Amino acid sequence: MNHKTLMLVEIAILTTLAFLLDTIPGLQFTIWPQGGSVSFAMIPVFIIAFRWGLKAGLASGLIFGVLDLLFGGTVVHWLQGLLDYIVAFVGLGVAGVFASGIRKGLSNNDHTKVSMLIILGTFIGMAIRFIAHYLAGVIFFAHFAPEDQPVWLYSLVYNSTYLIPGFILSAIIIIMLVISRPQLVVRTS
Amino acid sequence: MNQSFIIGQYVPKESPVHALDARTKLVIVFFYVLVTFSAETLSSYLILFLFAAFGAVMSRVHPLFIVKGLRPIWFIIILTFILHLFIQRQGEVLFSIFGYAIYDQAVIQAAIISSRLFLLILMTSLLTLTTTPISITDAVETLLKPLKSIKLPIHELALMMSISLRFIPTLIEETDKISKAQASRGIDFRTGKWRDRLKAIFALLIPLFISAFKRAEDLAMAMEARGYRGDYGRTKFRELKFTSLDLIVFLLFIIIVIGFFYFNG
Repeated sequence: MNHKTLMLVEIAILTTLAFLLDTIPGLQFTIWPQGGSVSFAMIPVFIIAFRWGLKAGLASGLIFGVLDLLFGGTVVHWLQGLLDYIVAFVGLGVAGVFASGIRKGLSNNDHTKVSMLIILGTFIGMAIRFIAHYLAGVIFFAHFAPEDQPVWLYSLVYNSTYLIPGFILSAIIIIMLVISRPQLVVRTS
Repeated sequence: MNQSFIIGQYVPKESPVHALDARTKLVIVFFYVLVTFSAETLSSYLILFLFAAFGAVMSRVHPLFIVKGLRPIWFIIILTFILHLFIQRQGEVLFSIFGYAIYDQAVIQAAIISSRLFLLILMTSLLTLTTTPISITDAVETLLKPLKSIKLPIHELALMMSISLRFIPTLIEETDKISKAQASRGIDFRTGKWRDRLKAIFALLIPLFISAFKRAEDLAMAMEARGYRGDYGRTKFRELKFTSLDLIVFLLFIIIVIGFFYFNG
């Protein structure tokens, strides 16, 4: 089978799964009993990035962002929209630069290396997403909040509350998934 | 399982707005959003509002749907209004609440900023209320075609987008099935210790991933069996058509924009 067709279809289907994990009620992970939940939505995007590499990761992120935008996104400024729905999600795919390292580590059974690279990859992806949402938040509040407000602080606090736990949870789950089921990132065909 | 939360906002109706080419709607919404940001005078806002309201009426979408589309943003609109009301300190004092003075400039500013927000959301939700996600994807693909010359894989991205949209209901069903099957085995990832919950998530994610990869392999095989070999020579099931209605709406929009800049000073 042509690898490219398989890659396109896998990106499409796994990204749909990512979007649904974010959207279907009740599939999110509650951190505190009072509420505050983190979804596993970014996991499929990272899996695609580690399985097929950088370009596939970026594509998966882009589709995730566009799905999010199409099904009820909020755009109040072109730059905010671009950052919140395109840059933030495409940025997740940057994790794909470690794809070959992770696959090599798995074939050598070097679990420490695999874990380190997964943590590094998810961290970079999440950091880019964080920066994008942060800047979008600053633009948003700068436009719609009165002047002389610490808009950078609002944006920082708001985005940290779900992105930092999201990063930790995603990294842990991906490491466990990849080590127990290497076929998720190592292609057989 | 109730799928209504995901079908998106599209409301099927027979209306001139629904009948418009998705490209027309996309281009108009894009420029409408741009123009809204330069609006400064009351009359220019009025022109923008009239256009959006005209669109909303012509779409024959029940006003309740439109209000529902605006729901996530009501809070922000009201908050913005109140914040501006209390923090702006220019102009003359209009009246005071609990000893706190409200200035006339503050009222104007608050009204301007919140109506800008309102118009932006109204117009973008009008697009998603009257256009299916798949037509929006097709429209974006045609509009972005020129970017192919700088090696952006527009066709591939549009293809992935269409597959993704097509598979949303299928995967909802699948996810529902797997999470129910695992729940019947006593798995609960919402309560209990951290460790137990992580284990429970595993029992959900692994079958989901495995079945998603299986589905992808089947689909890729089916596509190749039917001769899929990329963009070249591919035909579409749905075709976008540009009609005289689109031309009329474009002309109307141009008149609106000219009127807008005339009254915007």
